[in-house]
Amino acid sequence: MTRIALVLLAVLLMVPVSLKGADRKIQAVATIPDLADMARNIAGDLIDVTSLATGVEDIHAVPMKPSFAVLLNRADVVILMGLEIEHAFLPALLEAARNPKILRDAPGYIDCSVYVTPLDVPTRLDRALGDQHPVGNPHINLDPVRGKDMARALADGLTRNYPEYEATFKKNLDTYLATLDAAIARWEQEAKPLHGIKLVSYHPDMLYFAERFGMEAVGTIEIRAGVDPTPGHIAELQERMRRERVGLVVRELHYPAGLAETIAQSTGATLVELPAMVGGVPEAKDYLSFIDYNLRTVLKAVQKGT
Amino acid sequence: MRTTAQALIAVFLLTSLCFSPSHVAARPARQASPPSTSAAQLRHEIDAMKQQLQQMQDKVRQQEETIQRLSSPQTPAPDVSTVPTPHEEQFKREVKEEIMRDIKPSLAAANKTFPSQFNPAIGFIIDTVGSYRDHERGNFEFRSGEMGLSANIDPFTRGYAIINGTPEGLEVEEAAIVTTALPYSLTVKGGRFFADFGRLSKFHDHDLPFVNRPVVLDRFMQGESQGDGIEVSYLAPTQQYLTLTTGMYNKIGAENERVDNLVPRDFSQFTYLWRAATFLNLTDNNSIDLGASYAYTPKVKIDQGGNRHLAGVDLTFRYTPLSQASYRGLSWGTEFLYNHENRPSDGFPEEGTESEEPLHFKPRDAFGMYSYIEARLSRRFYPGFLFDYAQGIDRAKGTTAYSPYLTIWASEFQRLRLQYTRLEEPGNRENQVFLQWTVALGSHVHGFRDR
Repeated sequence: MTRIALVLLAVLLMVPVSLKGADRKIQAVATIPDLADMARNIAGDLIDVTSLATGVEDIHAVPMKPSFAVLLNRADVVILMGLEIEHAFLPALLEAARNPKILRDAPGYIDCSVYVTPLDVPTRLDRALGDQHPVGNPHINLDPVRGKDMARALADGLTRNYPEYEATFKKNLDTYLATLDAAIARWEQEAKPLHGIKLVSYHPDMLYFAERFGMEAVGTIEIRAGVDPTPGHIAELQERMRRERVGLVVRELHYPAGLAETIAQSTGATLVELPAMVGGVPEAKDYLSFIDYNLRTVLKAVQKGT
Repeated sequence: MRTTAQALIAVFLLTSLCFSPSHVAARPARQASPPSTSAAQLRHEIDAMKQQLQQMQDKVRQQEETIQRLSSPQTPAPDVSTVPTPHEEQFKREVKEEIMRDIKPSLAAANKTFPSQFNPAIGFIIDTVGSYRDHERGNFEFRSGEMGLSANIDPFTRGYAIINGTPEGLEVEEAAIVTTALPYSLTVKGGRFFADFGRLSKFHDHDLPFVNRPVVLDRFMQGESQGDGIEVSYLAPTQQYLTLTTGMYNKIGAENERVDNLVPRDFSQFTYLWRAATFLNLTDNNSIDLGASYAYTPKVKIDQGGNRHLAGVDLTFRYTPLSQASYRGLSWGTEFLYNHENRPSDGFPEEGTESEEPLHFKPRDAFGMYSYIEARLSRRFYPGFLFDYAQGIDRAKGTTAYSPYLTIWASEFQRLRLQYTRLEEPGNRENQVFLQWTVALGSHVHGFRDR
């Protein structure tokens, strides 16, 4: 019996080794579908990438499932958006995954925010100011120009781990960036009716989108990031929206519908509901269609409001 | 300039003319050509010289024109102080973004060089309860002021410590070293920590979903599953999440006073643990955590050689709709524990009443369980209900408790909880009301153990 147990144990220990082969694809785990899409565009057939989030979640509340630890245990690289946006689930999962290759700042830890200059960096960290984003607003995926920086960081991270494929990553990155550039030029043209339009969102995650397309994000329904509103805050917000003629209320789809609708109706603003990630709606099946969907939806709402 | 060029050309021609006859004259006498051929040659050479002169005159004229153009007064430059064009603005913005992109990693790295960056993350929990019981009346219970420290030690290990101040004093509740780089998905933990038994035994009091620890855990585990020892955990290389843990400790149980934690002992007097835990992802929104634990003490040190077996099964069902995880959800958690050990047939004598008669030990079985259900109605309001049942370790009649409660999250870092408990135990039936207020300061980590 002891001999059989030892043999079984030996087989179990050998299994991970026997599965590694020279033609094995790069096993990547991305935190959000946006990054998984970029990884597929950059690495093509060289990569197998899985996203932890499906796209419908609030990225601050992605469930910490043990099955994610299994995925991360087998990963060669982990691809994250960074700026601490994944703090609610990724650090604990990396600990549970027991994979030294992808621990924070290990070579396999690909932080896609390294080339992004964030907005809204707090000058003071204080919990009285809510659940602050300590290194700046992390919702950079909503700006396609910063999306290009994310793609570059992703490509550089893959190259760091797989220098033998550098030429392929560069070629694919150049193609992807060219596609993004063409789309950005078209979007900036189409977004001209949005210039100067003011919006309020549920959470402060529309900042980059607003900046890119000439809009102004003037406030949030949350009293502070991560803190649900009080009646007093809602009343103040409504008053401010009337005073400043705020035309749009943006409800990110993972926040409650009723309150955003009530605020829009009471202030005469138009309610628009947007996904915060690729996969948040069926039409947003990749990064380009995600930005496209958001822009078209906002344009339609503005046109409806006028 | 023109006069000089012409002079040079004239000198050149004269020199050429002088040279040509002497050149002709130098021809050897025996090669002298007839007079008509010499004249043709001379005419040819004069034509060539005329062509060269014309070329040189053309070149001189071009040079003079260039000189004249450069020497003439400068026309005013176009006015560049006009408003930058959109293209220039776009270009400036792109250059700025490119520069920022390139220097940002250096700036971030510079920020990390300050010595304080190596300090551990520090957090502090304050947990306080106001209570009212039928028999004991009211009380403000300062439960704990708990400091947590954690940091990476080196590329191979991390460490953490929980130092807890209670009315009974200051205690190192946990201080452990954990490996981070072992192969084969192994983790080794050593020091003082909560042994990997069950689910809620590993939760600090303030992290529990309700005010008080379930009766079965207080009675069978005696508080948290604290132990001084070593533990090895293995994540199996299977698609199905499966962890296997084994450990060895002086004892398990923070308030387990039946075993002395400080004295050396034989290997038969340590407590050994085995645990298997898995996760079933039923759908995207529904999941089950399932675990089985077994702790064995071959010889309980003070029980004249009696052994102890403690076994448990834990199950946690979660409904977490992905698109509304902050606002909706349901958790159902249950643990069953079974204790088997040799106990004195008349129980342990009270302190000060011991006699010289040896105690007669008999095997005793005891069973206990808890089950709770908690709903997430919004980001703030979490109502729940806890059912407790536990037999006495000495097979005394069981204790039952029913506890509806409401947890209110004012923010992620401040929690209020109101709980009513109906306690029914042998010789005592009591109503209890609790109001708990718990806050977290400083570093905030979402732990995998406490999910």
